[in-house]
Amino acid sequence: MIEVKEPKKRIPVVGLISGMLTVSKYMFKKPVTVQYPEQKPDLPDRFRFRIFLKLDDCVGCTLCEQVCPNHSINMQKVDRENPRNKRKIYPDVNFGTCTVCRNCQEICPTEAIYLDKEFETARTRNSFTYSPEELALKENEVIK
Amino acid sequence: MNILLRLQELFSPLGHLVSYILAYIFESLFLVIFVTISLIVMIYVFRKYMARVQQRIGPNRVGKFGLLQLIADALKLVGKENILPRNRDDLPYKLAPAMVFVSLVLAFTILPYGDFFYLGSFTVTHSEVTIILLFGIIAIMPIGEVLAGISSANKYALLGALRAVAKDVSFEIPMMLSVLAIVMMASARTPSSLSLESILSSEFLPYGILEPIGLFVFFISMVARASYTPFDLGESDSELVSGHSTEYSGMRFGMFYMGMFGSIFLGSLIVSILYLGGPSGPLESSLGFIWLIIKAAILVLISFTVWLSMPRIRIDKFINFGWKYLIPIAMINLILAGIITLGWGL
Repeated sequence: MIEVKEPKKRIPVVGLISGMLTVSKYMFKKPVTVQYPEQKPDLPDRFRFRIFLKLDDCVGCTLCEQVCPNHSINMQKVDRENPRNKRKIYPDVNFGTCTVCRNCQEICPTEAIYLDKEFETARTRNSFTYSPEELALKENEVIK
Repeated sequence: MNILLRLQELFSPLGHLVSYILAYIFESLFLVIFVTISLIVMIYVFRKYMARVQQRIGPNRVGKFGLLQLIADALKLVGKENILPRNRDDLPYKLAPAMVFVSLVLAFTILPYGDFFYLGSFTVTHSEVTIILLFGIIAIMPIGEVLAGISSANKYALLGALRAVAKDVSFEIPMMLSVLAIVMMASARTPSSLSLESILSSEFLPYGILEPIGLFVFFISMVARASYTPFDLGESDSELVSGHSTEYSGMRFGMFYMGMFGSIFLGSLIVSILYLGGPSGPLESSLGFIWLIIKAAILVLISFTVWLSMPRIRIDKFINFGWKYLIPIAMINLILAGIITLGWGL
């Protein structure tokens, strides 16, 4: 048989006053709001968002295109002299569908494609696709 | 020497009658400005305090630290279109917000503020029966709320008004009983015990120390008078949209909003005058006003904490509380006051 315990009888006003004390204690705590554009959020160490590409290291193996789960990466022809990349094909990335799964970074044999902490990619544009040359640039140098 | 006589001295070349009329007009204007500024400061402090308690930042965009936010809000309210309900009862609908705000400002004219350096006291009305006047004027405010609720032809507003009436009838009696205890104790020491100023000048200890039960009852009544969260039965925003002010917009709504904050400030002032010694304190010859404002500010902060920490009480619970607990407690307080007055001859 289960015994149901009677709730403890309390003195009426004590609960109200302890509630008020709890509320006024929060007056002295720091607000958690981050004023975003002026104040950058404190990101975790392993946070990654934007995909970068080292054009000199890429060998055009198409592994990143094959491993991408939602076909955000497509190989593009780029007219560029690189002895390691004879077919002259480099990946582009559509950030509209990219889920930041990091499979491309993991699979890349030469560590040419990698992700970094940059995350402010918002601007006026027609397409979310970054061409291979744009992937090589820093975010503030990319002009669309 | 108070501010009225100083103004009259200033205008005295214009003749006796004209100078007094001008002095009264200017002092009333001064008081309206004082009330409005204190309301703006209070609403700003409330918003900041609420934000800090909820670990937010609060208004911080308009002006330094968001200090001009309230002025921007007031401009927005003035510039808004007045949307009127079609089936309204026109005159009471338009009269109600003005009634709330005007009676609030009128109540401020009676309080004894104490001296403020060279300027002297800010009190406009001097009378032998200021307590009766004060509570008479305070009793006008609920009439404005009831008029608003009935005249806007809206079921939520009507229900809000009904609840407000039920609330008012249950706390007014204990409030007046606890005031009566003070008048009783003062009558042993001064012939004009209905005047706030003579009550203040004749007390030897703040009445809050002599009758803490009265202070408790009166503070609860003032919370109910200002109708904020534990007792915001007239507003009930989770079930009655916003009660009696549902159909109001623009500056008319702003008047109800200011009336609510103003009655918090007024309640704090009255509690500090009646129970906490009002303008008395160290160096009281010239700093009375400052002491009064400090006491009222602490009470306002306590009121805000009450507001932010408690949920709304159910209507029948509040009426039970008013009639079954507050009135007997106030009666006990009255008896204790009688014992203190007659027994010890204080």
